[in-house]
Amino acid sequence: MAETIIKLNRISKTYIIGTRKNASRAQKAIQKLHKSYEDECEKEDLKCKKDTEDLLEKVQELFSKEKYEESYKTVTGKTLKSRPKDRGAVVHALDNVTLEIKKGDLVAIMGPSGSGKSTLLNMLGLLDSPTAGLIYLKGMNVTGIKSKKLPEIRSNDLGFVFQSFNLIPSLTALENVMLPLKYAGIKPQKRKEMAKKALESVGLGDRLDHTPNELSGGQGQRVAIARSVVNNPAIIFGDELTGELDTKMTKEVMGLIQNLNSKGQTFIIVTHNPEVAKMCKRTILMLDGKVDKDHTNGKK
Amino acid sequence: MVEILKNMFRRKTRTILTISGITIGIFAFVVMGSMAEKINLLVSGGTKYYKDKVIVSDKSGNAFMGAPLSIEKVKDIEKVEGVQVVQSDVTVMLEDLGTVNFGVPPMIIGSDNKGASLESFKVEIVKGKELKPDDYGKVQIGSDLVKKLNAGVGKKIKIKGKEFEVKGIMGKTLTAPDNEVFMTLRDAQEIYHDTLPQVIQSQVKPELLVTDFTVYAKKGVDPNELAKKISKEVAGVKGEGPKAFQDQVASATGILNSILFGIAAISLLVGGLSIINTMTMSIAERTKEIGIKKAVGAKTRNIMTEYLTEAGLIGFFGGVIGWALGAATVVLINNAMEASGNVIFLLTTRISVFAIAFAVILGVLAGIYPAYHAVRINIVKALREE
Repeated sequence: MAETIIKLNRISKTYIIGTRKNASRAQKAIQKLHKSYEDECEKEDLKCKKDTEDLLEKVQELFSKEKYEESYKTVTGKTLKSRPKDRGAVVHALDNVTLEIKKGDLVAIMGPSGSGKSTLLNMLGLLDSPTAGLIYLKGMNVTGIKSKKLPEIRSNDLGFVFQSFNLIPSLTALENVMLPLKYAGIKPQKRKEMAKKALESVGLGDRLDHTPNELSGGQGQRVAIARSVVNNPAIIFGDELTGELDTKMTKEVMGLIQNLNSKGQTFIIVTHNPEVAKMCKRTILMLDGKVDKDHTNGKK
Repeated sequence: MVEILKNMFRRKTRTILTISGITIGIFAFVVMGSMAEKINLLVSGGTKYYKDKVIVSDKSGNAFMGAPLSIEKVKDIEKVEGVQVVQSDVTVMLEDLGTVNFGVPPMIIGSDNKGASLESFKVEIVKGKELKPDDYGKVQIGSDLVKKLNAGVGKKIKIKGKEFEVKGIMGKTLTAPDNEVFMTLRDAQEIYHDTLPQVIQSQVKPELLVTDFTVYAKKGVDPNELAKKISKEVAGVKGEGPKAFQDQVASATGILNSILFGIAAISLLVGGLSIINTMTMSIAERTKEIGIKKAVGAKTRNIMTEYLTEAGLIGFFGGVIGWALGAATVVLINNAMEASGNVIFLLTTRISVFAIAFAVILGVLAGIYPAYHAVRINIVKALREE
């Protein structure tokens, strides 16, 4: 049984726009309930855990159905007066998502625009915090982790590859790859060696001193992949990483990812491209902020 | 550091203009500061000189610019309780008024030197020998006047149309004596006599003329109190102690210093604001990069350090260039003015170190707001930026 790298437990991300006071109060009440679950029930009190989990499931369900007054009452026992004059909107970018990613997974997250796939990736990558729910990274609850500790976690356990490569234009390929190592506090000479090795592993050993402007799209994305693997992270996230590449380059980059995955590297890729999804081991289909389908490829 | 330098010069024109802003500020600081240093030293020298004595002059004149006085007054002053020695002096300007002078103008000082043994303000002779009270026709000159008077030990020089032999050259004191010619009382009396209007000249003998007396107080006597006593007990004169110098010169210098440093401070404030502007612009342009750096593990202090170092470097470059230009200006003007015996700047190590350190600190301080803004950038929003 493969080790769980990352686990999402009832993750919701809600954006309240305007003066939706009841929604806002209900959201705060759910957040408080999550905190009590985290603080009190995690101490092996199974009954408390079960009771709170059931309660959370119920109130989050009510919240997602926009029954804010009822959700609030279920958590606090207090009644909220109706506010028909409140203006604005409540956007449920992620709605009660529970998910588990195992070591060695190669997951494609698909879905139409606005389905919540990028928000999900941001949650998984600890780039954004959920409105409600818990995130576990290698068994550690990282939901309420202090922002001061996040850089260290990103530096050691998480890697990112973005659609537009997101390389720093003033730095060479080697310097770009050295960046995560610099922030991890690795000494310059060691950094250089590690970055060189990572670039060689993606076939760019002869492009060390080239700046992003001097590289092709495929080469740029390979530099970005080298940067994401250089510190040997537990998981690498790719956001539309082949979005700006042609078919040939897409195959080339995906081949590289499959190769790294075969060596045990875990990947989660957000993509619109079904061909890319086919090359992954598992596909998660998002729809309206929820996981619509989650299947291992070939076993739909 | 290489990355920070690369970032700095991504927008060369903007960075150079910002550095120029600091350069102007530091240039102003170095030039104005050097002028203030020179004035401060003159004043501090004056304060030291006047601290233990009373200058007695004609009631209508003042202690620092002589009006004719009879040497006979010595007897009256000596009678005042608390007086130890009375020295007769003649102080005449080396040049007629009309030339622009910063600080103390070149002066001729003639004295009977009676208070020499009590004098606490000692001036060293670096070339030749010290002038004696009977060295008629000889002079001892201050270091800043060597070039102006084309003087050398044993050389003959002309002062107010009369020929004198240079007996000694004084060492640099960085204060008034550097700009003074010392001669015997008799020689100075003759020069002074010649400067008086014809009507007066015919009525007074040169040997009876003085412009002031330097009164040395007995041990334990307060010179300010003694000055009051002399003014009260001796007719037609007024005594001025150390307080009078403080009141007339030192306080005015304080105001001048404030004005000089105020001008430099305004220039630096403008420079500081331009750093804030440049760094804010630069951070706005690099929002996505900051997001990338945060996503790959950059900590708050990494981002802060990068941007504060960049702002500090702008300050440093501006400081060094401003200092170099200021120092060059000071040296050039001093060299040009040396010939007229009117050295107006003194660039001290204190001013130099402070100028560069201040530029760096200003840069770093100006960088705090933009850097703080940079660390607060939301990663998700930053990564979405095009």
